[in-house]
Amino acid sequence: MIELQHISKIFEVGGQPIYALKDASETFETGDYVAIVGPSGSGKSTLLNVIGCLLRPSAGAYIFNGEDVSQLDDQALSRVRQQQIGFIFQSFHLVPRLTALDNVALPMVFAGIPASERRRRAEAALEAVGLTDRAGHRPNQLSVGQRQRVVIARAIIMQPSLLLADEPTGNLDTHSGHQIMELLESLNVKGLTLIVVTHDPNVARRANRVIVLTDGQIVNRLKGQELSDRGMPFS
Amino acid sequence: MLWDMMRLAGLALAGNRLRTALCVVGVSVGIAAVVTLTALGEGARQYVIQEFTSIGSNLLSILPGKTETTGAMPGIGGVPNDLTLQDLLALRREIHSAQYIVPVSMGTETVSHGERRRQVAVVGSIADFLNARELHVAQGLFLPNGDVERGAAVVVLGHTVARELFPGQSPLGQVVRVGEWRMRVIGVLAEIGTQLGIKMDEVAIVPVATGLKMFNRSSLYRILIKVRSPRDLNRTCDEALAILTERHNEEDVTCITQKAVISTFSGILQTLTLVLVAIGAISLSVAGIGVMNVMLVTVSERTEEIGLLRALGATQGHIRGLFLLEAILLAGIGGLVGLGLGVGLVKAVVWGFPAIPADPPAWAMWAALGLALVMGGLFGVMPAQRAAKLDPILALQRR
Amino acid sequence: MVLDLIRFAGGAVWAHRLRSMLSLIGIAIGVGAVILLTAIGEGTRSYVLAQFTQFGTNILAINPGKTKTLGIPGILGGTTHKLTLADAEVLRRLPGVEAVVPMAMGMGRVEGNGRGRSVNILGVTADMPVVWRFTVGQGEFLPAGDLDRATSVTVLGPKMKRELFADRNPLGEIVRVAGYRFRVIGVMEPKGQILGYDLDDAVYVPVANAMRMFNVDELMEVDVAYQSAGLAERVVEDVRRVLISRHHGTEDFTITTQAAMLDSLDEIMRVVTLAAAGIAGISLVVGAIGVLTMMWISVGERIPEIGLLRALGARSHQIFSVFLVESVILSAMGGGVGVMAGIVGVWVLTLILPGLPVLIDEQYLVLGVLVSMGSGLLSGVAPARRAVRIDPVEALHAE
Repeated sequence: MIELQHISKIFEVGGQPIYALKDASETFETGDYVAIVGPSGSGKSTLLNVIGCLLRPSAGAYIFNGEDVSQLDDQALSRVRQQQIGFIFQSFHLVPRLTALDNVALPMVFAGIPASERRRRAEAALEAVGLTDRAGHRPNQLSVGQRQRVVIARAIIMQPSLLLADEPTGNLDTHSGHQIMELLESLNVKGLTLIVVTHDPNVARRANRVIVLTDGQIVNRLKGQELSDRGMPFS
Repeated sequence: MLWDMMRLAGLALAGNRLRTALCVVGVSVGIAAVVTLTALGEGARQYVIQEFTSIGSNLLSILPGKTETTGAMPGIGGVPNDLTLQDLLALRREIHSAQYIVPVSMGTETVSHGERRRQVAVVGSIADFLNARELHVAQGLFLPNGDVERGAAVVVLGHTVARELFPGQSPLGQVVRVGEWRMRVIGVLAEIGTQLGIKMDEVAIVPVATGLKMFNRSSLYRILIKVRSPRDLNRTCDEALAILTERHNEEDVTCITQKAVISTFSGILQTLTLVLVAIGAISLSVAGIGVMNVMLVTVSERTEEIGLLRALGATQGHIRGLFLLEAILLAGIGGLVGLGLGVGLVKAVVWGFPAIPADPPAWAMWAALGLALVMGGLFGVMPAQRAAKLDPILALQRR
Repeated sequence: MVLDLIRFAGGAVWAHRLRSMLSLIGIAIGVGAVILLTAIGEGTRSYVLAQFTQFGTNILAINPGKTKTLGIPGILGGTTHKLTLADAEVLRRLPGVEAVVPMAMGMGRVEGNGRGRSVNILGVTADMPVVWRFTVGQGEFLPAGDLDRATSVTVLGPKMKRELFADRNPLGEIVRVAGYRFRVIGVMEPKGQILGYDLDDAVYVPVANAMRMFNVDELMEVDVAYQSAGLAERVVEDVRRVLISRHHGTEDFTITTQAAMLDSLDEIMRVVTLAAAGIAGISLVVGAIGVLTMMWISVGERIPEIGLLRALGARSHQIFSVFLVESVILSAMGGGVGVMAGIVGVWVLTLILPGLPVLIDEQYLVLGVLVSMGSGLLSGVAPARRAVRIDPVEALHAE
């Protein structure tokens, strides 16, 4: 379970404090499936980065599985990311020099897991996303849909409790976007908390809950089905 | 873990081949310079030591004249008190730690046989000279044993002298003119080359009394003492000085041990080598700056990747280590290539100038490699620090 | 147009300040090292030359013994035909010859005023101060007259005077030189050391006295001063002809003119300086490789910019020039900084080691900048060619 308690994030721009997040509170149950939506500059990314332990909030508490992680040092935060959080990015962020297998195994390198086990687990993860036959390929030898599958395999390799997806279908065509979302949802069904930041109402609507963000504040909470396919609740 | 990091760093280097190659060339030029210069300097030192030890490190020489200041050269010209054959006999009587005590007189004179003539160094000595200087006779005999003060009219020729004066025939028993003197050739030395700057193949050796008479001298050029073990050198020096001081009523001779001369020369050459290496190492620092520059570029190019690794759980320490390792690896490869280059260069020099016993000493090879690694580490710190301090969020920002 | 080009390229250099600065430092270290080392080399060269020219340049030395290699033939002692006072007397009468100093030298004990020292005893003649450009500080030098006339008078070197007499006036005092009584008639001006040899720690006596003292009948050296540099060849020829005829047709002596010796000394020092500069120059090569690397990277990063320039109508030679000029600017700035660093380095060196002779030769400063610009030009060619080969259509799509 993840709890955000009165989280604020302030950036200094030209000496002026800018609130990227203002007093945001939210609770995500284990196994939750939440979409975060909002116009550009509404603070979606900042919220995602705070949840992903990439950014320390300026104020408020962030309780991750019972532990306040809001003021942990770099080492401890790295450990939380490593053990608990899987990231999925719009532009994949695969290391171009490494094969699919090596990319998937990358998080285990920093966790100090021995090579033989890394290989076994990475192969299993690739199999889970249906890419066993692509294990030796480099990212540029894969289709965009396959690349995103590699990213998902990498995100789950450390068996995290939370999956954070930032526009996971942004660079994909409708068909492969659909497949990716089904893959993510199948993981959610197995008990992973899934948080998706998206512009796409078709993606947001699939979530159990939708959080609407405007100017750094949570302005609305909906059920996924309540989203009309005509547009987002802020436009 | 370290191995995995090295693999990641290695893959990164392989990903930018040309850039890596240029950096490696830079580092290797610097390392090659250090290796080559060390080898040449060390070679020169070995050469000098070998040159001195070839005549025996158990040798000490007593020469007339006493120096008070270090700068002046001893033994120039004559002295008030001669170093005489009587002095020699006194030393032979009283010093027991010595294996051989032999006199040396010196002069240059024209040696001729028929129409053939040649100017040579005429060395006056006694039978023991052969053993003291570790020389060998190729034909005939060396100087006869007997009364030191009696000078027979016999001569032993150096290899080259014999060959030039008697081409294709045996000089034994023949009579040569040494200046105004007629002398019978009784032996020829084996070929030996240059010893202490004296071309031993171009000498004529006569009994010391003959030598002194020939050049109208009363003083010996020097007295050589060969001791049984190097430990006796200093004690024997003191003994000889004491005996001669008593005989001359003042200390007017100098005693030089080969060891002292060797260590002086060796010290000078070592300093020279170090200076050369330091100058060569300047290029290594320039190469280091090159490595740093390329690593900085690499860091800024791989911002996104760094952000990703951070998101995947890499700590700042991991990132720092990764880039530091990359710099060290880069410099290390350069070091290896430079080592090969340097050794090749030294081999080429030795091939071209066989007289130089240049051989890169093992310590220098390890030191060069170590130097390259340390340099990579030093110049990698700044880029690695920069990489570690990158904000993972900026690194991951959507474009 | 050229100005625009420079401004454009300069902008690119400025845009990547850190990177440019590091490349620049690489070149600067190389140039600075070359300047520093050549300054030390040049300084030492002019110092050594000044040391030798203080004896005057229009002199030649005749030593007994014939030698082709550089060395001191006299050290070996006697020769076939001795160099005698009569030889010196004849040389004095040759046309063009200003003065002749026959010399015999040895070490011996000098006692006076209750103290004693072993020093170099130089047997010379009245002309010595003229030929060697020494000056008498107090009293007068040896009296003129026949070369073979012995007079028991002596002139002390300033250090000798200080050691024996401290502040007392030594003129008219009696000293014992190697056991003989001499009257002090003068004291020399301090002359200092030459190559570690203390010229002030000596006594001068008439050559005839010295020969008797050392029991020799030959000279160690004869120095001849001639009237002008133009006469050098003729005087050398005359001296050779006269001595050969006096020595029964054999050339058993060696003539060294000061000018020839200075020339060879100058040559040796120049080679040493060049070698040191060359070794330092290796770092310049490494610096140039650094510039090449960075320019190559820079072209790769600026592919879209190149595409844009091509789209705006820039022709290939203009693209080529942009990158070449950038490389040259970088290197020239490095050269300029290096020259300044070199000058500062020399200045710092004189502060730390005030005794070290340094001399900055302007031609090396200009050379430093030119060479660094040249290296910039060379290392800019490959990246500039890479830039030219970029396809504008692909380049614009690269973003």
